[in-house]
Amino acid sequence: RWLASSSLLPLSCIHTSAHLEKLGKWEKKNRVVYPPQLPGEPRRPAAIYHCRRDIKYSHEKMWYLAKLIKGMSIDQALAQLEFSDKKGAKVIKEVLLEAQDMAVRNHNVEFKSNLHIAASISGRGRYVKRIRYHGKGMFGIMKISRCHYFVKLVEGPPPPPEPPKTGFDQAKEYVQQLRNRTLVHTL
Amino acid sequence: IIDPYVPPEGDARLTSLSKDGLKQKMEKLKQSAASQLAHHKGEPITGLEQLCCEHRLRELEGRRLQVCPGCVKGFLGKDSVKDLDFNKQKLHSLVTERCYPDMVRGNRYKTIRWSFVESLEPPRVVHLRCDSMVNKDNLYGQVTVRMHTRQVLAIYDRFGRLMYGGEQTPKDVLEYVVFERYLVNPYGTWRMHGKIVPEWAPPKDPIIKTVMIPAPALEPSQEYE
Repeated sequence: RWLASSSLLPLSCIHTSAHLEKLGKWEKKNRVVYPPQLPGEPRRPAAIYHCRRDIKYSHEKMWYLAKLIKGMSIDQALAQLEFSDKKGAKVIKEVLLEAQDMAVRNHNVEFKSNLHIAASISGRGRYVKRIRYHGKGMFGIMKISRCHYFVKLVEGPPPPPEPPKTGFDQAKEYVQQLRNRTLVHTL
Repeated sequence: IIDPYVPPEGDARLTSLSKDGLKQKMEKLKQSAASQLAHHKGEPITGLEQLCCEHRLRELEGRRLQVCPGCVKGFLGKDSVKDLDFNKQKLHSLVTERCYPDMVRGNRYKTIRWSFVESLEPPRVVHLRCDSMVNKDNLYGQVTVRMHTRQVLAIYDRFGRLMYGGEQTPKDVLEYVVFERYLVNPYGTWRMHGKIVPEWAPPKDPIIKTVMIPAPALEPSQEYE
């Protein structure tokens, strides 16, 4: 789906990209160009957006895998998906490998393991209704569900997981809420 | 490029007194004979005879300077700076169709900053060719200009990080630029057609990031040596 702007085209204009179906918002996010950074600024981490459309799987079932991968580094995510038994795991693994390859080639990412998954989302695709034949002339309407899967890879080590909320924190917050109350219409 | 010019080895380094310098001169004479022929061929049609004049040379140099900032403006990505946008038409008018993809490939989402600091030597016309393509009447003239200049080049990737070169360090560049013009058209312009990179040119600077070269595929029984 992505424009092959870096492939070798002998003596033909670079701007001949086959006009595929309408590009979705996620694909267009890869076209954003930032202005050059001044030498003093901290290095902006590269963000690569990739997606796959119309996967023959249910988006609710895909959600479980997407949630599994969410904050991991790319190597860990690939390892988990390789040994997961779900059908969607194979698809997501392909998507991640594609995205990693794209990052190294087109988006000037230096180390392919230095990526982590900032966002992984599954969305509902187009559903189609079909007839499911039962016995005795009865039928049911079955829907063939498809899903889309979106990934955002960001350069850098994965962010540390949030520490779980302890009872002490909750108590502190409660006390703070009590202190924040103001008395209205009084002295 | 018709009959590419072979720049003599050590062009900017040898004098005419040494043996290699003499060899260079001989080759130059041979090539200039061919150039003279081309000169005569192109003469009845248009302005080739004026080429060796200085003002023409300056015009060509000016062209070159126009082309490169034109390219720079061309290459800035859509969102980076508003007033410098990619102007395909202008770039096509400054550069021929053969050179255009060489310039533009892979640059769509990058920012290129190029500036010309100064010219170390006045540009010289080194090579002239005049040939017809397809029909006998289609005359194209090609001129190779030798330019020794100081330039600054910096390429930034999609996220604004420096990919190649630097904005503070000017580099000395000796290049042989080929300009082409459609002679039959009296309003034709000299457009940049290509560059000749000699074999003895010093190697370019390495890019800033490290690149992985995949190892050769091994069978399970083999070991990597």
